Amino acid sequence: MHILVVGLNHRSAPVELREKLAFQQQCLPDIFAQLRDHVGLYEAMILSTCNRVEIYGRAGDLEGTINRLHHFLGRHGSIETSELVSRLYTRTEPESVHHLFSVASGLDSMVLGEGEILQQVKTAYEQARLCGATGKVFNVLFQRALNTAKAVRTHTGIGRGAVSVGTVAVELAEKIFDPLSKAVVVLVGAGKIGEVTLKRLTDRGVRDVRVVNRSIDRAVSLAAAYEARPVSYNQLGVQLLEADIVITSTRAPGYVLAQKEVDAIMGMRHHRPLCVIDLGVPRNVDPAVGSLDNVYRFDIDDLQSVVSHSHRERQQAVGDSQKIINEKVERFLAWWQEEGQACAQGQSASEVAAAR
Amino acid sequence: MLWVHVACSLLSYAAFLVAFVSGIFFLIQERQLKRKTMGVLFHRLPSLGALDRLNFQAIGFGFVLLSFGLLFGFVEVRVAFGRWWIADPKQYLAVAVWMSYLVLWLMRLRSTLRGRRVALLSILGFSLVLFTFLEASHIVRSAHPQL
Repeated sequence: MHILVVGLNHRSAPVELREKLAFQQQCLPDIFAQLRDHVGLYEAMILSTCNRVEIYGRAGDLEGTINRLHHFLGRHGSIETSELVSRLYTRTEPESVHHLFSVASGLDSMVLGEGEILQQVKTAYEQARLCGATGKVFNVLFQRALNTAKAVRTHTGIGRGAVSVGTVAVELAEKIFDPLSKAVVVLVGAGKIGEVTLKRLTDRGVRDVRVVNRSIDRAVSLAAAYEARPVSYNQLGVQLLEADIVITSTRAPGYVLAQKEVDAIMGMRHHRPLCVIDLGVPRNVDPAVGSLDNVYRFDIDDLQSVVSHSHRERQQAVGDSQKIINEKVERFLAWWQEEGQACAQGQSASEVAAAR
Repeated sequence: MLWVHVACSLLSYAAFLVAFVSGIFFLIQERQLKRKTMGVLFHRLPSLGALDRLNFQAIGFGFVLLSFGLLFGFVEVRVAFGRWWIADPKQYLAVAVWMSYLVLWLMRLRSTLRGRRVALLSILGFSLVLFTFLEASHIVRSAHPQL
């Protein structure tokens, strides 16, 4: 009896191929039935995300099952099996178990340590279970995988630190304002990166957003997307009196905010803290603004350096994460040797008997 | 009534200690934000906004308590010496502490000062509290009995 995984991910295959193989949720009951009846998997689970498509299965005869799985995937994606096979990886235990635990922990993700995959594995397992595709062995396997992922995330720094400019901006703003959701955000300019940052802030519950642009039309269309208030450019000074967070993302050649200007505004604001996030290149805000009391200024390089710092920290957490995973894999394999095989045999025998 | 004097004074010192600690945390956190060196403490410390609010509330709370402590202290003096003011060093120091925190609280209330400077002053203020409470009687002769 074997636990195997066949699949492809962002490293082994381009998106053109991954999208062809993606599984639609509504087809899953039918797919699981095919995997059982035609491929010969006693238990199965399908993990289909934008970065990976993987089928986990428990099977008796290894060679034949893998072959049938390759053909099944080829048919499913309407791809020549010969073309597909070079992109697929196939693993059997212990590697397949190790692979699953690593995937769930975010170690195999495009952005190392990202947490979304844990939820995706959980949902995929739930779906397989609801379709009746999992049995005693897979229930234990996936519970252990989810627990391992949680343990890795709690005990190591694998998921810590912000890994995009937008999330870094949110993290910094959260260290200044309390609560962040009450903060007034003013976005100056319509640069893409400014918009992404704005989105991250609104995701965190920021409600009062104003969009300032030289072209009022652009301000109106951008504001509509975030339930924000469009403001004409000559009103910028007034907005700065009310703002808590100013994001600048314009292509203006000179400074949009000079130090003198901000200094005067701070007096009028009664020195309420102001966070300036300058995403423009060339910079939109005079760096000297950052030396003013109660003004916290960050430019694109500051944010990028936090991002790369987080990446390095996560990289350093890989070793510790591996240790936890190895230990959990061994424990599962011990269970598999002692009890899993036996109950799998018993289950298969009863399945066979039921089929007869 | 002595116990009211003691209780209010000690509780006010505790409140000023809270202001002192939040002031220190504020300075650490602000320094990290200004210098963009997000160290180990960065993720553990509360936001500047929360620290500033705690600092402000602690100073206000401590000031009210200290006022009562002082008032009942004067009553004790009156009972013991028949006068309100005996020009004791402890009296001068206590009034100095009271006035310092009043000024600090008013400045923060009117937003004349904010952030780092308030945090710095609340640290200074607590040094004065410590001096009044612990050291004064060792350095100058005072009629005030120590605990």
